[in-house]
Amino acid sequence: MTTLVRPPASSEAKKEQRRRGVTERQRPLWLLTPGGLLMVVVILIPLVLALWISLIDLDQYTLRRWVEAPFIGLDNFVESFSSGLLNSIWISVSFAVLSTIATVPIGIAAALVTQNKYRGRGLVRAVFLIPYVLPSFVVATVWRTMLQPDGVVNAWLSKVGIEGGLWLTGPRSYWALILVEIWAAWPFIYLMALAALQSVDHEVHEASAVDGAPWWPKLRRVILPYLRGPVLLACLLATLNHINNFTLPFVLFGAPAPEDVNVMPMIVYVTSFQSLRFGLSAAMAVLSLVLIAIPLFIYLRAVRLDVHEEGGRR
Amino acid sequence: MSVSASAEATRLLPRWLLITVTTLLVAMVLIPVLYIVLASLNSDVGVASGEYWPSSFTLDSYTRIWTTADLSTGIVNSLIVCAFTAVASALLGTTTAYVLVRYSFFGRLTILRGLVGLQSIPGTLMLLPVFVLFSSAGNYLGLTVIGTRWGLFVAYLTFALPFSTWVMVTYLRGLPRELEEAARTEGASTVVILWKIIFPLSLPAIVVSGIFAFLLGWNDVLFASVLTRPETHTAAVALQIFGSQQEGGALPVYSQMMAAALICAAPVVLLYLAFQRYLVGGLTAGGVK
Repeated sequence: MTTLVRPPASSEAKKEQRRRGVTERQRPLWLLTPGGLLMVVVILIPLVLALWISLIDLDQYTLRRWVEAPFIGLDNFVESFSSGLLNSIWISVSFAVLSTIATVPIGIAAALVTQNKYRGRGLVRAVFLIPYVLPSFVVATVWRTMLQPDGVVNAWLSKVGIEGGLWLTGPRSYWALILVEIWAAWPFIYLMALAALQSVDHEVHEASAVDGAPWWPKLRRVILPYLRGPVLLACLLATLNHINNFTLPFVLFGAPAPEDVNVMPMIVYVTSFQSLRFGLSAAMAVLSLVLIAIPLFIYLRAVRLDVHEEGGRR
Repeated sequence: MSVSASAEATRLLPRWLLITVTTLLVAMVLIPVLYIVLASLNSDVGVASGEYWPSSFTLDSYTRIWTTADLSTGIVNSLIVCAFTAVASALLGTTTAYVLVRYSFFGRLTILRGLVGLQSIPGTLMLLPVFVLFSSAGNYLGLTVIGTRWGLFVAYLTFALPFSTWVMVTYLRGLPRELEEAARTEGASTVVILWKIIFPLSLPAIVVSGIFAFLLGWNDVLFASVLTRPETHTAAVALQIFGSQQEGGALPVYSQMMAAALICAAPVVLLYLAFQRYLVGGLTAGGVK
């Protein structure tokens, strides 16, 4: 994680700050109002409301007059733990981590094979982007068809003598979800790794070429260390995206989801829009946000927010 | 140093490994992708019985899907809602991003951090209060929001607006400020600078941020599945409902479903092909699909 450490603010940054002072007096902050006001209305108010809903007893009967719904404190949070949330958290986290771990070698391998120029490389790169470009609901629809009991996957498996079986219900659904997520998500790691690979100085390559080092030690000792920081950052973001992925399990398995793929977004969705227990569901959503906050906080510290500030220091 | 020698220096993998890995990866991607195309050209019976290569090719699915599922309504709805989302978030995002990049004020970094953080907030957390607010607009104000296109448009802004703004922030901070300063000494006002200098200079980025906002809406199932009724279903919801109806029925029309999936994917793929160079940069900058 050494690459995530921020360098101290340079003197140039301070100079920049002073130059900024000239325009300080006539800052057209009113320009923020249309966008800012809209963001307050569509983001801040709902977020605060979500917190409030998690503290009241809101269901289909009280929804009509939700302002008068009874305040019940932390009862919803207590109840969510007895409603299978812990199980969902475990499924979500293990699914997200396994998916991320599996996509890293694929993504890096793809970046390595498209780094050097050759005829047709543009085409290969375009192909690599297809799973990422396709909408999630299309990917899920296609895999849902392929993984049907009589679908093409089982037809092929039986050709090589393996008994197919059910992929979309029961314990195998968990692995089906991971498999499809890996297929759809690896190009993100590939893009980040490729960007990092292209920033490696040509001198580094030349120096190691002069050494006459064979490809594997050269790759491991010289090139891969360059990828560590960017790929770690990509992993963090990819894990967050896996945890938040609603579309894939929803379209792949339908709602309510089989028990083995009852990930957090699914349990929140089903609790609110099928069981109509809005208060309970809000508590679950808030708890899932707490879980996400940890990797999100690390990511926000590491990402470049400003022109002259590496990381989010004030 | 000659070109070939310098290419030799940057070669990372031996030739045999390069060919093997590339072949494996391309096959991994293309086998399911080709399946969509082949299945959509197959008959419904053929797909249901697990064929990969169709025993007979036909374009039937592409003509019949329009009556089997309400796909055309969905596509029109998606286009309308997403186009409005794209224009609104790109324009407002540019204005907001300009102030965020060029001026320092109290709370600026908090806003920047919020823009990045918001992209990782679970959609389910945002949907619930939006749903409650929309339904209470019906109860308290007598205003129907749920089930309307503009209600969905407002809901999509919760994600599209911060994302477009962030895309514009990453672009505008790389833009030199000399032109604006020259214009300012000539007495141009901020609005004139924004309109005459910033907008034309950052047009490619504005287009990209608009496309991303469009795609966020086009790819959404979560919000649309709750906030629309049959007449306002988006393409994604139409396909999802169509798909979930197939199991348990007499004969699942999988071939038509694959045709529908391909039709829903087409606008997205076309946008990427047209703007590939710009969009890939945005993908790594924002890190959001």
